[in-house]
Amino acid sequence: MAHAVISCLHANLAATEAVLCDIDQLGIDTITCLGDLVGYGPQPNEVVELIRARQIPSCQGCWDEDIIEGLNSCECSYPSQLAERRGQRAHHWTAAQLSEENKAFLASLPLSLRRDRLLFVHGSPNSQHEYLLPDMNAFAALERVEAAQADTLFCGHTHRPYVRELREGVIKMRLRRAVANPGPDIEREVDLPVRRIVNAGSVGEPRHGGTSATYVIHHEQDDSVEIREVPYDVERTCQAIVAAGLPPLFAWRLRHGFEYAERADDASHVCER
Amino acid sequence: MAMWALLSGLRGDLTVYAAVQAELRRQRVDTLFVLGDLIGPEREANALLERLQQPRRGDLQPHCIYGWWEEQLLAERGFRGERRADALRQSGGEAAVAALLQAVDPGHMAWLASLQFGFVELDCALLHGSSTDVGDSLTADTAPLQLLDRLTRMEANRLFTARSGEQFCVELCGGGIESRLRDLEGERQQHQSVPSRKVIGVGSGLHYTLYDPGSDHIAFRRAGGPIHATGRGFV
Repeated sequence: MAHAVISCLHANLAATEAVLCDIDQLGIDTITCLGDLVGYGPQPNEVVELIRARQIPSCQGCWDEDIIEGLNSCECSYPSQLAERRGQRAHHWTAAQLSEENKAFLASLPLSLRRDRLLFVHGSPNSQHEYLLPDMNAFAALERVEAAQADTLFCGHTHRPYVRELREGVIKMRLRRAVANPGPDIEREVDLPVRRIVNAGSVGEPRHGGTSATYVIHHEQDDSVEIREVPYDVERTCQAIVAAGLPPLFAWRLRHGFEYAERADDASHVCER
Repeated sequence: MAMWALLSGLRGDLTVYAAVQAELRRQRVDTLFVLGDLIGPEREANALLERLQQPRRGDLQPHCIYGWWEEQLLAERGFRGERRADALRQSGGEAAVAALLQAVDPGHMAWLASLQFGFVELDCALLHGSSTDVGDSLTADTAPLQLLDRLTRMEANRLFTARSGEQFCVELCGGGIESRLRDLEGERQQHQSVPSRKVIGVGSGLHYTLYDPGSDHIAFRRAGGPIHATGRGFV
């Protein structure tokens, strides 16, 4: 059996429809969504209603949370004050557009979903705002998976799809105790488990250097993961962004598939709120 | 380079603090860090808090951070937004919360609220719990992967922690991990080595730690014992 994992739809209806169509054509009927259904894009109600209609299990993303709880993240989420202002504009616009019913749906989403030893989160098991970037410290990455008692951690948030396998880990340690806490001094080697992080990329706001929507398919039979790129009608979304009065830069970066626009400056920083 | 002394878990006990100060006077220590838990529910903490804020002549000036007990008190007294002392309430019940409130005069709250989560000195992080939480209790038995993570989050080579109350030193001294990454650009492999790092539990109460940042030497100490009040007023 195969199942699809999608993330970061960002109110981009054309991209969401294209990805769901691709999944349908592959005959996959199990889909998990890692949140950020709204934000940046021009069709928040339509995208939320599509996910609700398809009864796709979803976890709550950072944008979903902020729409419900109010904006209270620190400045870490944006690379500049200008970018932050654009993000705030999109936030207020989205909050005003979303129906109460759709807000209640976003509020009801869990922070994580679990299927046996597979864990599904938006950012990391610690926070919807923490980025697990592909080049983050390998030990820290492993700790996120291990602490969550998972074999494979599916996440999104970075908008860049990847599969990272962490293996052959070992830590050598030397322990010295004080007289007050008796016990022998010891030296040992601790073998670390093999774990995997799968980032589903982004359906509605890709930052992988191209314009295609991305998602992943997990083939349970051989435990392999496939990264899918799906072209969609980018122009349709760009025109809707401009027509909605959202910052034109959101359309510009979708049209060009820019990798860095609006990415958090210090992506390793965990938002302290 | 002169040494640091690190202590924690005084929990309002001025006698213990005085004993440690008296012992430090006889050692080559120039900096004193008190890693939280200045207060506790067992006894009134006001006299200790006064001495920490206004050291006596001959005392090493203490550099204090807040610990788990201060966090509970600050939350209960409304210094942490909507949060209250939920962790304490869960573990000790209403009686423990009431005892903690009783132990500290409200006049000390502004000073307690001004204390920081931790210090970063040279390449050392000095915290009560860990980089994740003031209540994170690291012990000699904590998984080394978790210890390395806590060090990595702080970008520190040495992490001094107090929450467990234990005195220990775990040195991470070798090893590595292979990482295979596949994305839209292709596949690449990376090896990362375990950096040389230490996590040090500084102890609690009379049990304190000396650290020489010049030589990286760590010594675990126990102060000679409580000094009782004398006619000349040494407390």
